[in-house]
Amino acid sequence: MTAAPTRLALLFTLLAALAVHAAPPPVRTLTLGAYTTPREAYGKAIIPAFQREWKQKTGQEVRFQESYLGSGAQARAIAGGFEADVAALSLEADVDTLAKAGLIQRDWRAGPNRGMVSRSIVVIAVRQGNPKGVRDWDDLRRKGLEVLTPNVRTSGGAKWNVCALYGAALRGGTGAKQGDAGGASALLADVLRNVTVMDKGARESMINFEKGVGDVAITYENEVLVGRKSGETYEYVVPKATILIENPAAVVDKYADKHGNRDLAEAFVAFLATPEAQRAFAEYGLRPVDPGVAKETVKRFPAVRDLFGIRDLGGWAQVEKTLFAPDGAYERAMAAAR
Amino acid sequence: MPAVSDALKPERGGLAVRVGVLAYIGILVLLPLAALARHGLGAGFDVLAQTLATPAATHALWLTLWSAGAMALVNAGMGTATAWALVRYRFPGRAFLSTLVDLPFAIPTLVTGVMLVILYGPRGLLGDWLAGSGAKIAFAPPGILLALLFVTLPFVVRAVEPVLLEQDPAEEEAARTLGAGPWTLFRRVLLPPLLPAILSGAVRSFARALGEFGSIVVVSGNIPYKTLTAPIYIFGEIEAGDPQAAAAVSLVLLALAVALTYAGRALEKWAGVRDA
Repeated sequence: MTAAPTRLALLFTLLAALAVHAAPPPVRTLTLGAYTTPREAYGKAIIPAFQREWKQKTGQEVRFQESYLGSGAQARAIAGGFEADVAALSLEADVDTLAKAGLIQRDWRAGPNRGMVSRSIVVIAVRQGNPKGVRDWDDLRRKGLEVLTPNVRTSGGAKWNVCALYGAALRGGTGAKQGDAGGASALLADVLRNVTVMDKGARESMINFEKGVGDVAITYENEVLVGRKSGETYEYVVPKATILIENPAAVVDKYADKHGNRDLAEAFVAFLATPEAQRAFAEYGLRPVDPGVAKETVKRFPAVRDLFGIRDLGGWAQVEKTLFAPDGAYERAMAAAR
Repeated sequence: MPAVSDALKPERGGLAVRVGVLAYIGILVLLPLAALARHGLGAGFDVLAQTLATPAATHALWLTLWSAGAMALVNAGMGTATAWALVRYRFPGRAFLSTLVDLPFAIPTLVTGVMLVILYGPRGLLGDWLAGSGAKIAFAPPGILLALLFVTLPFVVRAVEPVLLEQDPAEEEAARTLGAGPWTLFRRVLLPPLLPAILSGAVRSFARALGEFGSIVVVSGNIPYKTLTAPIYIFGEIEAGDPQAAAAVSLVLLALAVALTYAGRALEKWAGVRDA
């Protein structure tokens, strides 16, 4: 017996150990381009849960590169060359921007819930105890009341706000008669006259509200709920009639394929529809799209008497024409409000 | 201009420097300006004129012009007084005052806006008290004016200071000996040599204020027809995917800035500041 074979075996073991070290378990990187609202839901809950699940299934580590911008700005960034594998935006129209740019080639609405992963409604944020006694849209036209809503030129959220107010009036949810476009425009003009600050985005608008600007802020329900979660004391009023906002997420085909990330990107988008992710959205103030989770969380989200969608106003293309075009109802109301 | 002596005449090296600098400034300044002009005029003058005629655009331009004008007036007065105090008097804190004058150039304008809102906003240190007395500063035109005054503070002060330093006290004494009162002294002896410098500083601060964005976007409220200035209007049109309208208003601001820069240089020559 000599020591040589033992030494040789030892050497092999060592080499083998080195080889294992030289080829660590593969780490993959997924780039998420999202709008700002669900930042906490993604960063604190959904992404870590997905990383755990993916590791269990495939043994691969996934690193995330997350970017959060206003929805329109994010869509423009991705269309302009920011190579996100997955886009999670606040408006269908913004995802369609990516489709028009040739970046999304498959039918992104084919997934569960027509490609939507979360929803919210437009509400009226008020100060603690609602000192001004605001109950519904009509109260916002009261003289001297200070209203915050962002600029429709820069904020998708601001467009939702205007559609909620104008649509509620058209549907008879306010003092204006049902279908009375003139009455709806008059309400819009009166409310716009009370607007004291038009910020460039929904988040900036709420930050100003938190700083004490304004009596009320027209905003998304989830913005209020997230604010309250972080210790803010404001409350919110749900109008009798308001609009349902749905937020899509989609694989950006061109970039996911380019990065060899199709499987990962598709798995992540599919994960967003799972009860676990849906509960995370609910935790951060967004209404779930999954019916089961919706039932679990029903107490957290007050019911709306007349909840309508953008389709009830004819869809975005129609609204862009009738409301936001230079001769549209919004621009005319804005001119009348000066 | 004195002739350059033969010894100083540029050789080939000098030629390279001149061509190099021309190319540098051309690429840095002229090229983007030309691109904007081309883009803005791309659809023809009619479209440009139509865009400018929209009430929202006209109003934004008008607000920018008058707020910058009012700011330039205040600057002309207070800037001259500040320069006067710095040059003519020795007092404790004078060096500190001089530093304070330059500080606004070193502060990011966005921060300027944030400071003003913290101070004059509804929950601000002064805002609460001001709201009680019915005055509105943040999210109203006075806020715009304050922001502009802040970001342009050094212009007039630094333009007037060197002229004041060069002034010959003998003239002043002579006038006083001849019995001139303080008002006559100021109007007939002290002011005339300062005037070109004051105007040049005011014009430059005006040109600078036309483009101010960072502080205004935070402090003004940005309501079309009320508190939306031209630069923020431009920003909105870009965000909304209407580069044509953005370019049209940009062109107007650009033309004004070019004209004013020329005016500023002419005034400086008049003031006897040596041509750089």
